Amino acid sequence: MKGAELVLQVLQQHGVDTIFGYPGGAIMPIYDALYQSDVKHYLCRHEQGGAFSAIGYARASGKVGVCMATSGPGATNLITSLADAMLDSVPVVAITGQVSQAVMGTDAFQEIDVLGLSLAVTKHSFMVRSVAELAATLHEAFAIAQSGRPGPVLVDIPKDVQLAEIAYQAEHAKASKAASVHTSLANAGKARALIAAAQKPMAYIGGGVHMAGAMSQLQQFLTANPMPSVTTLKAMGSVAKDNAHYLGMLGMHGTQAANLAVQQCDLLICLGARFDDRVTGNLQKFAPHAKVIHVDIDPAEINKVRFAHVALLGDMKQILPAISAGTNCADWLAQCAQLKQQYGWRYDHPGERIYAPLMLKQLSERMPDNSVVCCDVGQHQMWVAQHMRFSSPRNHLSSGGLGTMGFGLPAAIGAKLARPQDTVITVSGDGSFMMNVQELATIKRFRLPVKIVIVDNQRLGMVKQWQQLFFNERYSETDLSDNPDFVALAAAFAIPGHCITRKDEVESALEAMFTWPGPYLLHVCIDDKDNVWPLVPPGAANEEMITEAKA
Amino acid sequence: MNHVLNITATNTPAVVERLLQVTRYRGYELAGLQLTPRHDAKSLNITLTVSGDKPIHLLTSQLHKLYDVQQLELAGSELAVLSA
Repeated sequence: MKGAELVLQVLQQHGVDTIFGYPGGAIMPIYDALYQSDVKHYLCRHEQGGAFSAIGYARASGKVGVCMATSGPGATNLITSLADAMLDSVPVVAITGQVSQAVMGTDAFQEIDVLGLSLAVTKHSFMVRSVAELAATLHEAFAIAQSGRPGPVLVDIPKDVQLAEIAYQAEHAKASKAASVHTSLANAGKARALIAAAQKPMAYIGGGVHMAGAMSQLQQFLTANPMPSVTTLKAMGSVAKDNAHYLGMLGMHGTQAANLAVQQCDLLICLGARFDDRVTGNLQKFAPHAKVIHVDIDPAEINKVRFAHVALLGDMKQILPAISAGTNCADWLAQCAQLKQQYGWRYDHPGERIYAPLMLKQLSERMPDNSVVCCDVGQHQMWVAQHMRFSSPRNHLSSGGLGTMGFGLPAAIGAKLARPQDTVITVSGDGSFMMNVQELATIKRFRLPVKIVIVDNQRLGMVKQWQQLFFNERYSETDLSDNPDFVALAAAFAIPGHCITRKDEVESALEAMFTWPGPYLLHVCIDDKDNVWPLVPPGAANEEMITEAKA
Repeated sequence: MNHVLNITATNTPAVVERLLQVTRYRGYELAGLQLTPRHDAKSLNITLTVSGDKPIHLLTSQLHKLYDVQQLELAGSELAVLSA
């Protein structure tokens, strides 16, 4: 068989039945092999969208997402999405065609140094020089993408390698599995001692917990060691909905209760998180009284930005039971409950215009169980994190580390294909939506019943908010009042839609959206003056939150 | 402060670029680089000298993660070894 056919055989060996991509000259042999393959290819309309769909597929399912692109511009268009996968630790395998080795290095048509470009945005990358090494390289790519802290892996395959003949029998080849994780419990005793002695313990939960498959161990840990908990953006949905001690998201737009409690705690148990600057605010002033237990799979995260008094490396599923010590902190739990009560969200917004936090709360309450919500980036993204509740982090896909506008729509396509039985909703902003709007064509082509909610303030809202607060209201290039008619735009892709402007229209509009069997776009117009609160200003400690009343 | 790192790495086309990219991105300057293929030419012995004010473990822990790095030792400056 040809190298191109081998690629598809190896994908099938890894259980891949869904891939996202866009053809072009240097990857034509693989697309030719696809023509008669059982692997289902979903044509995106821009390689960035295809790779985001692969990310959405991976994040919603826990499987490896696969995307393909041709050489040159096809490959460069993948870069942003690979960076997104890198910073959010998403297992993705990207396959790119490359010009033939005979012309490589001559600035051939659509030739660019993809291996060189990949260095900063992948966990690892390969250039395949011979068809003899193609299968082993692809197996390795899957193993690396899933091993340890997951991440994106790129395999660049020259056209002549795709066309070369090789005798390959899949059944004889052993698909390499993700390497097992070495776990050290040597410090578990120290961690238990700290937990047992803590008067104000706090669990700070990141995306590493669910990615380790340790959701049930987390609930058991929080039950056996009652303590307040907070989550990062990536970990929303990690704590069971009935856990009374959960305080919400922490950080720049976290809840006041979460931030105030973290600032007061005397023990911070960081589980699969990395003290990101959007979480800590002023690092020197973050949780100033706390000793730190840091549990992670990546040794490089220990002591990277915050010293850990006790570190445990390895498999979260083994570590969580091993550090369970029992807590005795009734006063602290009561104090945090009081904070939660005192600083609860308020939805009594005056006037008849739609208040996005309330609308999202209504959406959250109305959406079917196990719905997946895919966000874009900006104010709407923070409102989703604040006002919607999720039963699993796999149900809340948001570009965290890279903060990539244009993520939501293509990620929703991937999520819908990964979980066709579940409702998938994109919540986007009017700015973000336009960044990968071409993927409406993908939704149309495959008749994907994705629900699209555009929260439209006719602004690049988050940048506008910062201009208002920190740049003397100089609104440089953030006015989008000449947005297209989004409902008409959707109609051009045979997607029905509806536009609402008043609070009293929300419930019936949501009802109509969920009742409609196919894709649907709900255009929600809001006041451009609404901002995201609270906000920890740059350089401030997390207790120095600005709220709407203070602004 | 200069730190000398003795690295054994798989001899792949981009391995030196990877080491240098991580070194630069993590905020260290290159102060010296020597490399010699081992007998079978499948691996390289690399001596990487870097300078920087940050603790060197912030670099070594990232270099360790490179898939092509087989072994990495710090020679000639203190290393805060992880106790985990």
